[in-house]
Amino acid sequence: MRNLLFVLVAIVATSAPRRAAAYPQYQLDSDKTCTGCHLAPDGGGILNENGTNTAESTAWHPGNGNFMYGMSRPSWLDLGGDLRAAGGYVNPGTSSAAFYPMQAEVSASAHWNGFSLFAIGGLRRPQDQGSALHALWSREHYVMWQSNPDGPEGVYIRVGRLEPTFGLRLAEHVVYTQRYGGYPLYGEVYALAASIVKEAFEVHATGFIHDPIASAEEHGDGGALYAEARVGDHAAVGAEGKYSAADDAHRTYGGLTGKLYLPGPKLQLLAEGQVIRENFVAAGGDTVTQLAGYALASHPFGGGFLLDVGVGHFTEDTRVKGLFRDCLDAQMHWFQTSHIEWLLSARVELLDLGAHPNGGYLLAQIHYRL
Amino acid sequence: MRCFGLLLVTVVACGAQDPRPATVEVISLEILSPSCGAPQCHSTSTNQSGYAFDTLAAAKAALRQLVHTGTTGGHGNRDLMGVINDKKMPPDAPLDPEDVALIQTWITNGAPGL
Repeated sequence: MRNLLFVLVAIVATSAPRRAAAYPQYQLDSDKTCTGCHLAPDGGGILNENGTNTAESTAWHPGNGNFMYGMSRPSWLDLGGDLRAAGGYVNPGTSSAAFYPMQAEVSASAHWNGFSLFAIGGLRRPQDQGSALHALWSREHYVMWQSNPDGPEGVYIRVGRLEPTFGLRLAEHVVYTQRYGGYPLYGEVYALAASIVKEAFEVHATGFIHDPIASAEEHGDGGALYAEARVGDHAAVGAEGKYSAADDAHRTYGGLTGKLYLPGPKLQLLAEGQVIRENFVAAGGDTVTQLAGYALASHPFGGGFLLDVGVGHFTEDTRVKGLFRDCLDAQMHWFQTSHIEWLLSARVELLDLGAHPNGGYLLAQIHYRL
Repeated sequence: MRCFGLLLVTVVACGAQDPRPATVEVISLEILSPSCGAPQCHSTSTNQSGYAFDTLAAAKAALRQLVHTGTTGGHGNRDLMGVINDKKMPPDAPLDPEDVALIQTWITNGAPGL
């Protein structure tokens, strides 16, 4: 009975939309920029024509990869949508079954010459004792201008609600550098963002204020910068920084990223390390230093499959001995069609290198792209 | 990967016994906010089970109920340490024992700051 109650709590607690993010695992073996496959300069969300073709070519059974299998729409309008759910076994110390309705969102981009209006809306868990309207929200909505609407390179200016570009930006939000670092789930803010995207490099700068109405992970105001340079045909290095000042804490993030593609074994290696300084101004200026790192190796195989193996590290407070955790992740993606992705995720989490009871999960996820 | 290993060794070697003060600010901002106060869980907008931990003010309000009245809404009639010791929350990652010990110390000291 207690397990059943926990499952119900877990369902309710997590029934909110999650980010439909990009797969940087594919970046260096095909298109060098996010804009090669996505409308947004930093990836994620609606696919462009090339992205749709890529989704078809990497699927087990390709089919028609267009929105709703080719539903007619005006030429000035792009549409997208994502449904996700996961279920399986979680163990944060005690084993339980769990089911997570993850995402139910639709998105639209209306464009005219270099200008576009983008919005993504969906369902979130309503506030306890709140009205039905609390269940609806728009996680991102912004106006964008781009200098080259017909190609992947150019300058992009965005104004509105969006997530500041930072780090590797992997699809799974539990990655340590995202969960504990500068790119958390629901990190959207109101921002002015400028991006320069070239095949050889890209730079993203964002100034932001927190959302004063809908609670998000980000409570502060500040700025973020991410720059990435391609080295040769199959490597890239990046640097990142972010500062956020909230009423109770000021946070500074700095980090590096690296990407390397090995064409022979078709292996993509991704890594990110961050140093995080948190100044708890509400606690008399107590300052904490944290470390977050993640490394991922990805290998596509069999026409529709992608295997990820990752390791992560997070030190919560460098002043405290043993206050750190590491994880080993394994993920198997099966792109059954250009619209349906199955994902089997497993994590083993070690606290203080196994000196304490550990955690982990095994979850099966389905992702349906409209 | 070698650098990653070096980082791990450095962290293990440099840490000290817990020097953190057992205050409501440290408990809330360093432990409960990132572990429990995610927007889809115990945040001011979602308010799961009637509790939020994503800001210091919200965490203080929640802790006043959890620590002093011994009720935890959806978790049954148990106090904060009861929920933590059940090891079912947070669902995606266990709390670190050092953090649990600091929370226990703070409660034993009378939960100052609430």
